[in-house]
Amino acid sequence: MSDNGRVRVVMTGIGVVCPLGIGREEMWRSVVEGRSGAGLITLFDASDWAVRIACEAHGFEPTDFMHRRAARRMDRYAQLAVAAARLALADSGLVIDHDGAGIGAIIGNGGSGAISREEQHRVMIERGPDRVSPLTIPLSVANMGAGQVSIELGLRGPVTAVCTACAAGTDAIGNAVEIIRRGDARAMLAGGGDTLITPFFVAGFDAMRVLSHRNDDPAGAARPFDQDRDGFLVGEAGAVVVLERMEDARARGAHIICEVAGYGASADGHHITDPDPTGAAQARAVKMALDDAGLAPADVDHVNAHGGASQPGDRAEVKMLQAVLGEDVAARVAVSATKSMHGHCMGATGALEAAITGLAIKESILPPTINLHTVDPECVGVDHVANQARPADIRVALSASYGLGGHNAVLALTRTENGAG
Amino acid sequence: MRDEPRVVITGLGMVSPLGIGWREAWEAALAGHSAAGPITRFDTSGHACRIACEVRDFVAEDFVDKRSVRRMDRVSQFAVAAARMALEDADLVIEGDGARAGTAISTGNGSSESFEEHHLSLLERGPERASPLMVPVTIVSMSAGHVSMQLGLRGPSSCVVTACASGNHGIGDAAAVIRRGVADVMVAGGTEAGVTAYCMASLDATRALSRRNDAPETASRPFDVGRDGFVSAEGAGIVVLESLEHARERGARIICELSGYGASSDAYHLTDPDPSGRWQVAAMNMALERAGREPHEVDYVNAHGTSTPAGDPVEIGAIRQLVGDERARDVMVSSTKSMHGHGMGAAGGFEAVLTALAVREGRVPPTINVDELDEACGGVDHVLGEAREARVDLALSNSFGFGGHNAVLAFSSVEDA
Repeated sequence: MSDNGRVRVVMTGIGVVCPLGIGREEMWRSVVEGRSGAGLITLFDASDWAVRIACEAHGFEPTDFMHRRAARRMDRYAQLAVAAARLALADSGLVIDHDGAGIGAIIGNGGSGAISREEQHRVMIERGPDRVSPLTIPLSVANMGAGQVSIELGLRGPVTAVCTACAAGTDAIGNAVEIIRRGDARAMLAGGGDTLITPFFVAGFDAMRVLSHRNDDPAGAARPFDQDRDGFLVGEAGAVVVLERMEDARARGAHIICEVAGYGASADGHHITDPDPTGAAQARAVKMALDDAGLAPADVDHVNAHGGASQPGDRAEVKMLQAVLGEDVAARVAVSATKSMHGHCMGATGALEAAITGLAIKESILPPTINLHTVDPECVGVDHVANQARPADIRVALSASYGLGGHNAVLALTRTENGAG
Repeated sequence: MRDEPRVVITGLGMVSPLGIGWREAWEAALAGHSAAGPITRFDTSGHACRIACEVRDFVAEDFVDKRSVRRMDRVSQFAVAAARMALEDADLVIEGDGARAGTAISTGNGSSESFEEHHLSLLERGPERASPLMVPVTIVSMSAGHVSMQLGLRGPSSCVVTACASGNHGIGDAAAVIRRGVADVMVAGGTEAGVTAYCMASLDATRALSRRNDAPETASRPFDVGRDGFVSAEGAGIVVLESLEHARERGARIICELSGYGASSDAYHLTDPDPSGRWQVAAMNMALERAGREPHEVDYVNAHGTSTPAGDPVEIGAIRQLVGDERARDVMVSSTKSMHGHGMGAAGGFEAVLTALAVREGRVPPTINVDELDEACGGVDHVLGEAREARVDLALSNSFGFGGHNAVLAFSSVEDA
């Protein structure tokens, strides 16, 4: 318990299956080395498409993490979630007792079972409504990532999917923290599983003019805050963290990665796709996360930015940080957009970024924004961690996600000192 | 512990097969009407299930400007309409930047019709002809986005998806947002518009739907020996939640208190409930604990009761475990899905509206179509056929979703309301 009597929540495990690798260690090595996870699309035939590049989770074998029979009953998005959840649980050393009461899961996503939904819709169109697979609903609905995680791991606390588009992974962690604080669970697995590398979503995003067209240079295509940015790369990932009460984690001698000290959420209420150019609601989410953590703007050392690499979005995000933190503070805050490496993993991206931010705090290394060769003059005013990881003492970091439809979600992560708290 | 605000319901909004606006839906529910009929939303030839509970005479332009209507799937139109009605019913004007008022709009499947249209177009015409609206119109979160945009709600905005339990989780999580003090008002509930060719074909493929195509009005028959599956429904049910203090300060009419919320997971099977029902009991218990009430105090349970052979007896068994066999005989139980059908993501919303009204009005809506009660569903006080006048101080509304998600809401009367 902290001074104000509130339950404190810490991150004790990380599991990822993402374009930067499988498992916490491989992913973190890629981050520190500043590698790109981009390449040509292999998940469907995009050879004659205007956009042929994405960030795929290469080398993912679902059967490494679940039985073949179970894997066949899951869309790839749920397989990613289950694999990440298993890795996170193993990383944390947390043991699920016999009935799993008191441990739940929130697994967000943006597109749910898009692969299965498109496949089976095609079956219906071509062969008739009576030929649709009986598994269509369990494969494609948005709650089944969460449902499958609970079934595979035996979690019987609260289990939901939070689906707030690109902010889902962040909202999932924030909501899970709240569930632990209010005593509805003692531990939660939280994050996202999403794969939107499908014809429907690639065509749809490209029609919105938000994707990079640098097909000849996939590794250099995602370039948030760079003058020559032309959009994001669709990514896919499973990213799950284990959250538990600090006192429980300490009692069982767990390795604590960081504290999840604050969560803020707000809505733009402005436009279906464009962020509110004033950044007022984003700023409120940042402020709410800091207030929730009992921190002041001047305490912030590092921000893992949303950094969607759109022209207006990146500019607005930097301006918003300047407004909410103050220009002096902003000028020394280290800002990274790790989407430059792992792409925009949609409903999983916020969880992946929170995991990276937690590791940054723990390892005292700032992850880089790669492909940042000429900072857009409209994006200056913060300390961009350009191209190379950098050692730094990080006590307080924010991980921010801003989703389509105006969902804003921000986490405040802090270092836990040995013996403190 | 934090000194947490109490949460009350001050407004109801309903776009349902039983009627548009809560008054029409409530009257129909008390009268024991069925809203089921032959599907008119699409050509059902080749479909084994050809019945549903559709929303009739819905004119989106009554609630949303024409330009915005075109950018919304039917699922979002329902949500915006119900949310607008709920705010009007609460007599609540969102002032200033709306930072202290949020949204939690759940859905099971989201934008079914638009997905099918855009995907068909993609298959036929190729990616270069794709519409810039295809992603924003179809993603599941967009109903929450539209409600926040149309009504100027700029507090936390969420979309919780747990299949058939989505609406209850959405409302329960929204109440928690008020309890932790980051919003005074939340507009919360569920919406669904899945009476479409693909959605119905997919549901039927799971063998969950009734195929009584010749007798749609008696097809949804929870707890009856002859039940053969649920009847799919569309619509939206949305409530306005406020902190008690906020409601009192503005002199709002309080319908009832949303006093508890419990959630658990079966971790058992993709589509079947754990036959022991023990995790349903755990969710009901958690809702009661949070409400500071005892199981024996429950007067009425608005059951999940979907009319599937496997699900209904498990739920009745769970209610009996919760309160004990003796007390269970006096606990009123009804499944209003017998009348409005199974609204999936909207189900929890529909049922929250009807349960809140049962508490306020002291009238319990019935389960219709029970010609012969299944013995396996016995042991509780089923309210059958017609509404019953009875004092309801404490009611539970159950929702259990595919994937094993259990969510239970507790509603209590407010003395000086």
